[in-house]
Amino acid sequence: MGKESSDKSDSVSSRKLVLPGDLLETKSKPGRGIFRRDGRVHASVLGYSSDQSGYMNVNAITGGYTPKVGDKIVAICVETGPSVWRMDIGASFNSTLHHSESGWKVPFGDTARFLTIGDAIWAEVFMVDAAGSHQISLKKDDCRKLYSGTIVKMGPTNVPRVIGKQGSMITAIREKTQTRILIGQNGHIWIDGKGSDIATAQKAIEMIDNEANSKGLTKKIEKLLEK
Amino acid sequence: MSNDNVSNLMKGHMESLAKEGKRADGRGINEFRKVTIETGMLNTAEGSAMVHLGNTKVLCGIKMLIGTPYGDSPGSGTMMTSTELAPLADQSFDPGPPREQSIELSRVVDRGIRESRMIDFEGLCIEHGEKVWTVFIDLHILDNGGNLFDCCTLAAAAALSNAKIPNVQHGVADKDVDLPVTCWPISCTFGKLGDSVILDPTSDEEGVMSARFTVAHDENGNLRAAQKGMNGAFTDAEIREAVKTARASDNVLREALKGIQG
Amino acid sequence: MAGQTDMELIKDGVRLDGRKADELREVKIVAGVLDNANGSCYLEWGNNKVYAGVFGPMECHPRHKQKADRAIVQARYTMAPFSVNDRKRPGYDRRSTEISYIASQAFEKVVMVEEFPKASIRVDMQVVEAHAGTRCAAMTAASVALADAGIPMRDMIPACASGKVNDVVVLDLNKEEDNYGQADLPLAIIPSTGEVVLLQLDGHLTPDEFELALDLATSGCMDLYKKMRLALENRYGGSA
Repeated sequence: MGKESSDKSDSVSSRKLVLPGDLLETKSKPGRGIFRRDGRVHASVLGYSSDQSGYMNVNAITGGYTPKVGDKIVAICVETGPSVWRMDIGASFNSTLHHSESGWKVPFGDTARFLTIGDAIWAEVFMVDAAGSHQISLKKDDCRKLYSGTIVKMGPTNVPRVIGKQGSMITAIREKTQTRILIGQNGHIWIDGKGSDIATAQKAIEMIDNEANSKGLTKKIEKLLEK
Repeated sequence: MSNDNVSNLMKGHMESLAKEGKRADGRGINEFRKVTIETGMLNTAEGSAMVHLGNTKVLCGIKMLIGTPYGDSPGSGTMMTSTELAPLADQSFDPGPPREQSIELSRVVDRGIRESRMIDFEGLCIEHGEKVWTVFIDLHILDNGGNLFDCCTLAAAAALSNAKIPNVQHGVADKDVDLPVTCWPISCTFGKLGDSVILDPTSDEEGVMSARFTVAHDENGNLRAAQKGMNGAFTDAEIREAVKTARASDNVLREALKGIQG
Repeated sequence: MAGQTDMELIKDGVRLDGRKADELREVKIVAGVLDNANGSCYLEWGNNKVYAGVFGPMECHPRHKQKADRAIVQARYTMAPFSVNDRKRPGYDRRSTEISYIASQAFEKVVMVEEFPKASIRVDMQVVEAHAGTRCAAMTAASVALADAGIPMRDMIPACASGKVNDVVVLDLNKEEDNYGQADLPLAIIPSTGEVVLLQLDGHLTPDEFELALDLATSGCMDLYKKMRLALENRYGGSA
């Protein structure tokens, strides 16, 4: 997703909770979160079924991050090699940042001088291969090393809720707390500003992550941000 | 969320918040998280308690079996503490033999209870020099949200407080009686975060702090056990201050414990 | 299984705990009870109490267990020392190793392991109070925890045992029935296809009794499946 907007454009009333194995009556093509058996389509994850644009999808409510090319993410360095960095992006496996995708002139073996263990970056997933291994890049758009603020981790499936319809939720959080926020599709969120403002923004995001499915959440967040 | 890979940014943010006396979850630096205690839920144990301290959840079961006394204390019962870091509590808890972490935890909790004479060991004698009760304190960590030390000590104290000696089942007497308890040790654990000292660290804070200090007091304000852990250091002043803070702050846990004694 | 007993475990169709031959003990299931685990479940079944927690998919350790084309499911079943009247020494024994092994295999049948090459999905089952039927309780809780964790699966796996006491085939043995009864048959099935993924038998059953025991355990599994669904619907709000 290049711009910030929630892709939950289907109406709330069409969302139905489905469990793994549930049969999905549909003429649409099979999308994500599903599997086929005997020519029929079944849900494979706990989630909300969504039949739109000719595709039958099940949007998982829980679960880890599956990298997709083009995703903007916040990554943390966990290991430095002579020509690469190994990065935690919250997926099943760590990702790789190759020196040629860093935008820096990195002498062989000198990687730690540019990015060391524990450092964080705003990056883009630029390659995912058939075996599931993936690479990220610092050379796209506004990708860069992050020097201040903090990182909050939340469930990637709740990221659309933090963004809100047309970005309404995240805009409200940013404005009310006077913070800069970068939302990684992987559920890693960077927040920068004054210490206590960061804490408020963090609290709001954690509340959304914990209560994403409950009613009246928007009002609760409004109350929290007014304080 | 368990934080195996902590960013340096988070460390810096938490350290600067702590300088202002604040924490990432909105607490003050000397504040405990919310604590709830439930007791007596296990039918197979002689005593049991479940303690939630923030997100940390520990279940404690007390089993009592007949054993032989130690040579140097023929009229006293015995006790043994063990801790299970259940793999479901933390992604880094691998199944397998007890690690150093689990052993340190068991021994610190054990000392807090043993050295405070919480259990009246003389009251556990069945036949002088021959038969005594052995109290097994088994702590089962179900969710590691940080500060296992205080949660475990509290769970053990709560479980012991509702434990009954199984006289009837073992043919020792015709009535089960309460396990004799004489005092209530409460532990407080601190972490060194940059230049600040914080009480009751969360697992995120444990990921960035450099040293840990646990101190247990009884209800009279006397120290019963202490342990400094991890490879950083506290200043002499910080230790003295922490001990004072512990006495001032542990009433929250003490009240919760009193609450379940009903 | 003692087999020979003068104990009357069932009389005029009523068992010691008041149940009829085809009745399940009371079951309570709560999904999403732990904060750290990616998915979790707490389950009470009669006096059994179990917790299940799931992590993953994640990098497989130890490395030599990794499979190049799929994930492996590493399931572990443990009983807490205080879960039984005669305190059990902490650690694994042969019984829990066997149960862990057959549970891993049952889950590998339904979890879509092909989607995560080289990864591992860790399932941990902790029995904190035991009153017969713990392996079924543990696997049922683990199935809910897997769904709660968002792990892709073809279905959840309910597990339930049937058995025989005083020559009567009954559903869901309690502790006395397990100790003094004549047969114990734990079963786990895939509800949408009826396939059997776990089956064990201990004791003595005639061919007719076996057919009946299998029917009973299957119907027990289907009842259980409804409760598993309800637990997840309660947690995640049902239809939006």
